[in-house]
Amino acid sequence: MPPAVLAALVDLHRPAHVVHWHFFQMSVANVVVIVLMLLVFVLAIVLPFPGARRPS
Amino acid sequence: MSAATRQRRRAHEDRYATWTGATRPYDLVKEAVVAIGAMALLATLLTIVFSSPDERPSTVAQWARTQPVDFVATASAELGGTSDTAGYGPPYNHAATGQVIGPIQLQKWAGVSHPIDTARDFVIDPLQTITNDPALNAALAAYEAASPKQQAAWNAAYAHAVERATAHGTTVTVPDAGAAGPVAPMMASLLSLAQSGGLDGALLTSRNFYQTDYTKPLLFMADGSLLSDRAEAQHLLGDQWGMMNETGSYPGQVWLWLYTFWYQIEPFRSSENADALVWALMALLSLAFICIPFIPGVRDIPRRIPLYRLIWREHYRGGA
Amino acid sequence: MSADRMWTTRVRERAVGALPPEKLLPDRQPAYVASWIYVFGVLTLAALVVILASGVVLGLKGPAWWHLTGIGRFFNGIHLWAVELFFFCMVIHLWGKFWMAAWRGGRARTWVSGAVTFLVGVGAAFTGYLSQQNFDSQWISTQAKDGLNSVGIGAFFNVTNFGQMYTFHVLLLPTVVLGLVVWHILLVRRHGVVPPFTRAALAASNAEEES
Repeated sequence: MPPAVLAALVDLHRPAHVVHWHFFQMSVANVVVIVLMLLVFVLAIVLPFPGARRPS
Repeated sequence: MSAATRQRRRAHEDRYATWTGATRPYDLVKEAVVAIGAMALLATLLTIVFSSPDERPSTVAQWARTQPVDFVATASAELGGTSDTAGYGPPYNHAATGQVIGPIQLQKWAGVSHPIDTARDFVIDPLQTITNDPALNAALAAYEAASPKQQAAWNAAYAHAVERATAHGTTVTVPDAGAAGPVAPMMASLLSLAQSGGLDGALLTSRNFYQTDYTKPLLFMADGSLLSDRAEAQHLLGDQWGMMNETGSYPGQVWLWLYTFWYQIEPFRSSENADALVWALMALLSLAFICIPFIPGVRDIPRRIPLYRLIWREHYRGGA
Repeated sequence: MSADRMWTTRVRERAVGALPPEKLLPDRQPAYVASWIYVFGVLTLAALVVILASGVVLGLKGPAWWHLTGIGRFFNGIHLWAVELFFFCMVIHLWGKFWMAAWRGGRARTWVSGAVTFLVGVGAAFTGYLSQQNFDSQWISTQAKDGLNSVGIGAFFNVTNFGQMYTFHVLLLPTVVLGLVVWHILLVRRHGVVPPFTRAALAASNAEEES
């Protein structure tokens, strides 16, 4: 077993929690990843970009 | 499409080919270095916070010790040719033709490239590695000398008896196994070999000292319940959308969402050719994905749903 | 043999003609490249660099190392999270490029090379999961074999054969991914970042559709 000093701060070795919706089910971790992706995509488009108003 | 339309479309395309408008300074190399630093830092932080999953693999020995009834039931199915692997078809054997997509029989056409005779490879050959057991030798000799019809009768009798088998710790009691002839002592010896760890070795290195092909022990274990029991507990089964999941609470292969989706709905869900049909569909969709620039309608979606106005809002405000 | 008929000269002139140094390593970019969505291409590439570097460390120490030591487990973690980041950034990059219709102006091959990279990347990640030598590998291999066998691929690509899967994962597929990524990036340098839709072109497309 790896030494304790390099053990994770958050233990993800517990069984997954699952999101159920009709016939659709997904682990919470996967839902978090997908929601983050959508959020980052929206933010990337909406957030102002520095230097955008200074073309030469 | 008329020649005039084609010409007009080509003119639009050419207009987008080169930008001759305003530019600004840009440090490409610096951007790349900063990006690499940022990704390395982010990966390191995620590792420190979450680490990575590592569930220990199952062994045949563990299977035989923790689920001895399931082990002998599976082993007798391998001997009798009734297990999933025994009846699989290509690439392991000719027992079935495999899945089809209409008239297309890719599984059959690819042939038996990794032949497995479950009776010999999983049961008889490993048992023959056991020395100093005259009773076992006699049982093996009797089994091999018997006609296929007699062997089938013995296997069927044992399969019937094992349904009422019970386990006490690692010991299995199979009641009324007399009609099974030599199969009962063969199964008892195989269980013993498996529990000692000898079967893991025998399945792997029977032909070569060096080995990297785990097909035999994996197929044997997969015919039983141990792997699927572990998988169910971790939400990895097909009908749990398991393809996308990972052991523990880790994110998995999220990008497989569409591939696993088809298995959850009809007609794939109850089809015997589900795997082949889903593969064919995903191959088609992947090709369509690659060819989006050439598909009329699909390639017009970004123009018709103008998210681009948000992306390029500064440019349009500046007067394009 | 005159210089202009030599293969070497022809290859050099074609290459330099397509990608002169100032196009290969430009220090200016179009003014419309002014949105955070544009950084996801280079972030994907950066994640790939981290994947390759951590992969080299894991490869140097052999496939069993990460199970045995804390530092091995650490590098395995870097490799895994870099893969998650790679797909995360690549998909956002893909979404951005789709909504920009980035294949316009003769840039279809840029889209094609990117899309193929994504698909080969899925395959590379898959062989990585198979190379772990733990329960995950056991389950994924015994399940995936059915899909691959059903279309005959399993006869040539045996997911329960660790040696074969490991070789695909550490050598064959990274080579293909790298080759595709280099092609993709050279195409971007050659054709530039796609310009915004112009009012004239939009009007013309609409007129075409109505006729």
